[in-house]
Amino acid sequence: MTVPAPVGAGSLTARAARVDSRIARILRVGTLVSIGLLTIGVAFMAAAGRSPLDGSWPALDLGRIPGDLLALRPEGFLWLGLITMLATPLVRVAAAVIEFIAGGERRMAGLGTAVLVLIAIAVIVAQRTAAA
Amino acid sequence: MTILLVLAAAGFGAGVFGSLLGLGGGVLIVPLLTFGFGLPFREAVGVSLVCVIVTSSAAAGVYLERHLANMRLGMLLEVFTVSGALVGGLVAFLLPDRVLAGLFAILLVYTGVTMMLRGATARGDAGPVVAAEGPAGPAEAAGAFRAALGGPGYRPARLGVGIAGSLFAGMVSALLGVGGGIVKVPLMHLVMGIPLKVATATSNFMIGVTGAASAIVYLMRGGIDPLVVGPTAVGVFAGAMVGSRVAQRIELRFLRLLFAAVMALTALQMALRALG
Repeated sequence: MTVPAPVGAGSLTARAARVDSRIARILRVGTLVSIGLLTIGVAFMAAAGRSPLDGSWPALDLGRIPGDLLALRPEGFLWLGLITMLATPLVRVAAAVIEFIAGGERRMAGLGTAVLVLIAIAVIVAQRTAAA
Repeated sequence: MTILLVLAAAGFGAGVFGSLLGLGGGVLIVPLLTFGFGLPFREAVGVSLVCVIVTSSAAAGVYLERHLANMRLGMLLEVFTVSGALVGGLVAFLLPDRVLAGLFAILLVYTGVTMMLRGATARGDAGPVVAAEGPAGPAEAAGAFRAALGGPGYRPARLGVGIAGSLFAGMVSALLGVGGGIVKVPLMHLVMGIPLKVATATSNFMIGVTGAASAIVYLMRGGIDPLVVGPTAVGVFAGAMVGSRVAQRIELRFLRLLFAAVMALTALQMALRALG
C-alpha cells in the first residue's frame, strides 16, 4: 500500500534545510557562550584559589548574578553559564515552533509547544516539591 | 587549584573517550565523580546532566548543518523523552542512592555489552544500512504525517513502540544522568527502521532538551553544584572537540575492549555500593 506524499512535501525540503541551519546556529552560539562563561568562572575560581569540592556551594539566586558578575565573582559566571547552557535547547525548541508556525506546519508547532509546556510543568512541580 | 585541574582533566578524558566511542559521556562522568571525587550519587547525576547537554548541543549543531538529524521525528519523540525525564527527575529524589547505584550498574553492563556487539557488527557488516519501510497508517492523514516524519529513503515504522521507548529513555536519562542515546539509537535504528547515522544524529539532537528537562528539576531542587559543573563541563567540551578530530585516526577495537573492561569494573563497584 502506498502512502500519499505530505502536502507541500516538495517545498518542504529547501525550507527544512534552512530551518536546520538556523537551529544549528542557535545551538552553536548558545554552546559557545555558555562554555565561554563557564571558562571565565573557572579561571576566576583558579585565581581565587577556590576548590570545587570545598563545600561552599552557592545557592542559585538570580537577583545576585548581576552583582556577582560586576564584582568578578566566579559564582556569577558559573551560574550564568549554566543557565545559558540549560536554556540553549529550549530556545532551539521555541525557534523551531516559530519556524513551523511560519511554514504552516501546525502539528509540528503543537509538538514543540507541548515540549515547552512540559518543561514549564517541570519547573513548577520541582519548585513545589522542593518547597514541601 | 590542584583539584580544579584534576576535575577539568577528568572531564577532558571523559569527553575524549565518550566522543571516540559515540557516547554522551554521562556513563563515564557519573562513576568518575562518585568514585574519583567522592560526590554523592545524585550530585554526580546533576553535574553529568549538564555535561551531557554540552556535548549534545555542540554535536547537534554540526549534525543539523549536515542535515543528518531528523528534526521532525526528534521533536515528536522529545515530547515523550521530556515526559519521562520529568517523572524520572522527580523519582530520583525519592529513591535512595543505593538503588540508583544498582540501576547504574545494570546500565553499565548493558552499555558495555552493546558496545562490544556494535564492534562485532562493525567488523562483520560494513555495508550501508537499509532502512525498513514502515507500514501505512490507518488513515490518510496519519500516513501523511508519518511520511513527513521520514527522510530520503526511509519512513519511521512502529511509532507506538518508539514513543514508549522514548518515555523510558527519558526516565533513564533523568535517573542516571546519561543522555539516553544507548536506548534511543537501537530503538530508532532496529525497531523504527531509521538509518543508523540518522538515528545517532537525531538521538543526539534530542538529548539536549531531555537533559535540560531533567537538569531543571535537579537545579530547582538544589541538586547541581556550579563549582563542580564549571571545570567538568569545560573539560568535557574540550575533550569532545579533540576526540571528534582524532576519531578517524584511532583504532577503535582496542578502545572498545578497554571500555568494556572499565565498564565491567565500574559496574562491579556500583553493584557493591548498591549492596552496601
